[in-house]
Amino acid sequence: MAVLAVLQFALKSQPFYANLACLVGVNVVLAVSLNVINGMTGQFSIGHAGFMAAGAYCSGMLSIGLKDYKVGFLGDGVSDQLFLVIALLAGGAFAGLCGFVVGLPSLRLKGDYLAIVTLGFGEIIRVVVQNSNALGGALGLSTIPQTGSVFMVWFWVFVVVLFARRLAFSPHGRNLWAIREDEIAAEAMGVDTTAYKVRSFVASSFFAGIAGGLFAHFVPLISPGQFTFVRSMEIVVMVVAGGLGSTTGAVVAAVFLTLLPEGLRTVFQNLGGADSSLASKVDQIRMPIYGVLLVVIMLTRPQGIFGTAEAWDLFGKKKQQKPVGP
Amino acid sequence: MSGEVLLDVQKVSMAFGGLKALTDFSLQICRGDLQGLIGPNGAGKTTAFNVLTGVYLPTEGAVMVGSERINGRRPHEINRLGVARTFQNIRLFKQLTVLDNIRIAIAAESSGGFDAVRLQRLKHGPLPSRLFGTALEALNNYRDWWRACLLTPGFLREEVRITAKADELLQVMGLAHRRDELAKNLPYGEQRRLEIARALGTKPKVLLLDEPAAGMNTREKADLMVLIRQLRTQFELGVLVIEHDMKLVMGICEKLTVLDHGETISTGAPATVRADPKVIEAYLGEAPAHA
Repeated sequence: MAVLAVLQFALKSQPFYANLACLVGVNVVLAVSLNVINGMTGQFSIGHAGFMAAGAYCSGMLSIGLKDYKVGFLGDGVSDQLFLVIALLAGGAFAGLCGFVVGLPSLRLKGDYLAIVTLGFGEIIRVVVQNSNALGGALGLSTIPQTGSVFMVWFWVFVVVLFARRLAFSPHGRNLWAIREDEIAAEAMGVDTTAYKVRSFVASSFFAGIAGGLFAHFVPLISPGQFTFVRSMEIVVMVVAGGLGSTTGAVVAAVFLTLLPEGLRTVFQNLGGADSSLASKVDQIRMPIYGVLLVVIMLTRPQGIFGTAEAWDLFGKKKQQKPVGP
Repeated sequence: MSGEVLLDVQKVSMAFGGLKALTDFSLQICRGDLQGLIGPNGAGKTTAFNVLTGVYLPTEGAVMVGSERINGRRPHEINRLGVARTFQNIRLFKQLTVLDNIRIAIAAESSGGFDAVRLQRLKHGPLPSRLFGTALEALNNYRDWWRACLLTPGFLREEVRITAKADELLQVMGLAHRRDELAKNLPYGEQRRLEIARALGTKPKVLLLDEPAAGMNTREKADLMVLIRQLRTQFELGVLVIEHDMKLVMGICEKLTVLDHGETISTGAPATVRADPKVIEAYLGEAPAHA
């Protein structure tokens, strides 16, 4: 907490880095939450950007609606943050609800149905937003109050990592591992597989909604173009590269892959001067780089950078057993 | 030794399209029974298991566990009612440790503050009670998450209890020295034993073993026979074994049911069954006319 506060203060005069820190944080929340369903439960969802969009627009609209209200006895800043938390929770709840509606029919089945349905859901959300004037249409929504902060974003990073970590060591989490390993055996051992899959999917969408809400409150404009299938794939790449099932892996990969384009831009600028054509094209060559990176990782370490290992495995916790070996 | 009837299969038939995999299959397992289900390949033994554990919905007949009719119940619900099984082709949670394999089974039996069987009865009642049951279950689950995230004392106590029980089972099954190894790294015989241990973790009343001795050597088979007998008495189970190894089946089972092409061709004590011409015919083919 204190570290976060210091960070917030230090980055106040550096809007670029503050923004970057927020973006990294949002991506970490997304990757860790996707890891709960893709990595731990083994159900492949490729529509995470859709849930992010649901959360972003829901909390954004709520914030716009509540813009003029203040809680009198609190300072302006505090009251803003309070409303932000309310908006975030609303966005998360809405995304969770979407997750429930999407997940309930598709998670009853075994196999890859979830991938197809989530893919469809992501596109539906995007198209709906694009065509509804109340949500800004294709132009996007630019009137959301910019109350987000590095502190708030990284607070949620802390929450989601804690959740994912504690979940992995609970009976609930072990049941998710069991479903990933062998669904038929899990069911025969008394695990209600459908219920567990739906619950972990709802939790995952909830945090995606939170991430979307956070995103909406520090980016000056949200538009449907930011929540495309490509965005979903970015998050999937993070989870796969980090190692399916490893929270540490998801965090590290999210941080690395978010900073990568920025780093590349700097490198190219230094190489070819400020107006280097490569530097301005980093955004476009980002996806091929992800692709190559993923191929390299799959060839050299198919289980991802961390496999299923976790950073805290190193600090020898005696009581808690590692759920999965390296 | 016969106690209360735990599992009662009443004239069950199972047809896949036009193929009758099982016809009028009846069976009763009481507490303390040790029964065998045998038959040539493709006789319908595993189909029978799948019907009993809810993998398949029988086309005719009824399966009763205690006083509950379980036709159409999902496999995990049937497991909660006290029927556990192992698989012919081992289905362990391979990437998890031996301990976790068992802890999953134990937790499934104990999770939540509500009685699993009563919850199930609610969920299979009329609509209002079904909704109520679902809501209770959801509440229960969110409480579980909450407790796990905050590491409440109750949660930690439960974890310790689960782990202790798992260790106890490992001890019984002679797997204690493998506790922290990954299930996939165990030798074959121990994987089979772990499957039985995992099934026992769900606190079954009836244990269904699908070819527990497949792939074992003679020595391991002998050990297994002793073990199955011991488990039956120690946990007061009814056991039903599918097995190809005649020596093992004849050695430990008190009653046999012989299937061929889905039909029950003989039942009774091992000695009677062995002498039954129909059984001999099913296994060895028809006796030549002149013999």
